[in-house]
Amino acid sequence: MTRHKKRLFGRSGLGVIAIGLPAAMFLLLSLGTPDFFSARNIANVNSQITALLIVALGQLIVALIGGIDISVGSVISLTSVVLASLSASVAVPVALILAALVGLGNGLGVAVFGVHPLIMTLASMIFVQGFALLIMSAAGGTVPPLLIALAKTNIAGLPAGFFWCVSALAIVAVLLHKTAFGLRLFAIGANAQSAALSGVGVRAPRLACYMLCSLAGAIAGVYLTGRIASGDPTMGEPFGLNSVTAIALGGVQLSGGVGSVIGVVLGTITLGLISNGMNLVGVSPFFSAALTGLLLLGAVSLQRRKAIGI
Amino acid sequence: MTAFAPNDPAADAACVIAFRDITKRFGAITALSGVSFAGYRGTVHAITGENGAGKSTLMKLLAGVFTPESGEILLGGKAVRFGGALGARAAGIATVFQELTLLPNLTVAENLFLGREPRRFGLIDGRAMRERAQAVLDRVGIALDADVICGDLVIAEQHLVEIAKGAVADADIVIYDEPTAALDGPGVEKLARLIAQQKQDGKLIFYISHRLDEIFRLCDTTTILKDGKHVTTRPTRELTRDDLVSLMVGRELGHLFPRRNPRPRRQDPALSVSDFTAERGRPPVSFAVLRGEIVGLAGLEGHGQREILRAVAGLIAADGGRAQKYDASGKVTPLSPAVVATARAGLGLIPEDRKLEGLYQPLSIAQNIALGMLRRAPMASRARIDQDRIRALMGEMNIRARDASQIVASLSGGNQQKVMIGRWLASGVDVLLVEEPTRGVDVGAKAEIYRLLREFADHGGAVLITSSELTEHIGLCDRILVVHDGALVAELAGEDADEETIMRHALMGRPAAAAVS
Repeated sequence: MTRHKKRLFGRSGLGVIAIGLPAAMFLLLSLGTPDFFSARNIANVNSQITALLIVALGQLIVALIGGIDISVGSVISLTSVVLASLSASVAVPVALILAALVGLGNGLGVAVFGVHPLIMTLASMIFVQGFALLIMSAAGGTVPPLLIALAKTNIAGLPAGFFWCVSALAIVAVLLHKTAFGLRLFAIGANAQSAALSGVGVRAPRLACYMLCSLAGAIAGVYLTGRIASGDPTMGEPFGLNSVTAIALGGVQLSGGVGSVIGVVLGTITLGLISNGMNLVGVSPFFSAALTGLLLLGAVSLQRRKAIGI
Repeated sequence: MTAFAPNDPAADAACVIAFRDITKRFGAITALSGVSFAGYRGTVHAITGENGAGKSTLMKLLAGVFTPESGEILLGGKAVRFGGALGARAAGIATVFQELTLLPNLTVAENLFLGREPRRFGLIDGRAMRERAQAVLDRVGIALDADVICGDLVIAEQHLVEIAKGAVADADIVIYDEPTAALDGPGVEKLARLIAQQKQDGKLIFYISHRLDEIFRLCDTTTILKDGKHVTTRPTRELTRDDLVSLMVGRELGHLFPRRNPRPRRQDPALSVSDFTAERGRPPVSFAVLRGEIVGLAGLEGHGQREILRAVAGLIAADGGRAQKYDASGKVTPLSPAVVATARAGLGLIPEDRKLEGLYQPLSIAQNIALGMLRRAPMASRARIDQDRIRALMGEMNIRARDASQIVASLSGGNQQKVMIGRWLASGVDVLLVEEPTRGVDVGAKAEIYRLLREFADHGGAVLITSSELTEHIGLCDRILVVHDGALVAELAGEDADEETIMRHALMGRPAAAAVS
């Protein structure tokens, strides 16, 4: 019975890289750049990270079942233009319903009609982006003041984004690690057929995952729109792929079944620190993008070194 | 006897399940036809028969994995129809599948309770789940921690956990599908104890197996299936081993098979295998296939004949020993464990699963065959395809198609198999390794495929086959090597062999083999 040492992190995908990378980055930046700890910079990093974290949590849910959702960025943009063009009382519900519909479409395509998730969500990414530009072709509009307050007010000295993050984390952590739904996602992601033989329905949870991911996009969209206090039809563009990068850095396996909320936090922080840190040191953003690509490849390879033999 | 074949078993209170006239087809193949029998509370009921007799199909109907074309399943006297595994589960039927269904990223406890997690306030009650899982493991006598991730367990331990699934399920009927295939001695003992306990609790246990020892030791009742038909359901104590064997076999050979040649005069081998271990833990085997000869590796599923053939083909890396190929002049080429290398050395593999491993379904007949002509061509060379040769081959093999450009996916199973053979004929290999030569092939095409293989041998080629159909070995092969638990236990001349003898060796292994040779 003692032969098996209990795996510290089980199916979380957390390893030395996922934990060490953000820690090392943090250390380097705090030693190397005096501006890093300034209040303005921390606030800046925080607002960038908040939206990415919320989206990445949605992406995590989809990745656990072996899927991917690159349309989530377009959902952010759609949410933004809806919020900036409808009256305050209906804007948020309409945005959430639209997001749920996008997720429903993705889920139906993937889980029922068997379209590859990359193609399905690529198609809806293009469609939803076009739809957002139809509603509002350039940034502008007025955002309900309540949303601005929700995204910008500091409470007890802590920025609003902090509370958005904590709530999102708490909800997703309980969902994944404490509910039967969450356990079944891990099971489906590892081997859908075996899960089905164990009497677990496969279709409905898959569909739900895509809807939850789109909803995460909508919530990130609400936060970002409140934050910049205007609508922007291309606001979400980088988030689709950045969220995938963030979860991959956090040890989530895109083949399904392995990942954790903590990993997503670490991956998101890593990605946020890369762009912010490079910015502070004065490195060209293009160079920092190139470096991010290399880092992603390196980190993922090292996490899977048993599989690739290094 | 009456207790086992009453007129209306469903009216009997002890009858838990009754099959009535069950028929199940897969495409053109009838897996089960008109099967009727009943199972009773508090009994262990063996389902046995040859490979492909329909044992697993029948149990998958009961487990809700398949639905029957016609006939009905009566559960406690009422006809039921399950919408999938979930429905069968809910009706109190649990299955321990032959293949591992454990999820490697879940703990033992999570695997055991997946789909029926204990809840508290809507959330999973992790502690209750662990405690209940640990209790089940202890009860079955499995020394494992319920908190261990299943991916960290060795295969034998995983199979034990799989069996524990049968103990967790709060089911009236528990199906064990070839449960001992991967268990060691102590594992089998644990299973035997668990089954005895479940029997005492008044459950009905279906035990699918072709291991005679276990059937006679564990089972009260035995149902024998043959070719998808019900042969008999009897108390096991009324049966002897010999009865079992002779009830499982017995089939007409028909006129499907081409005439054998007299034994080849030249005794030069085309392929020889010595001290060859296809898989770790199996005994080493040695044999040779001569030019002009068709040799069959016969045995029950899971006894390693398939692995031997695949290791020779280079599809799986052998654990030890040597395989050598001899060309017509006697030059020796050692075979390395790589398919490309064995194909270049002159071995052609015709895999069991044509769709997945053999043919390019969306490509044409010509393209599929032409691939063989390019066997030794360097990658950067121009592909020179001899269209006349392809047309000639199609004619010789009697491939029924519009023309050479027809897509392979649109051909019947028999014609697809001919294309597969055609590829190797075009490539000029002189040894064919054929898995299940006529799986999914209609009767007419069967005869033609046998003829093609025989002609290949007559022209100096050598053929090694595996087949789950005994008649195929008897009708087609010059020599039959019987495999039991990975060892060659008997060598029979094809013309003298009969199903019963092969089956006896395949089921009982060594002792009987010694008596024959």
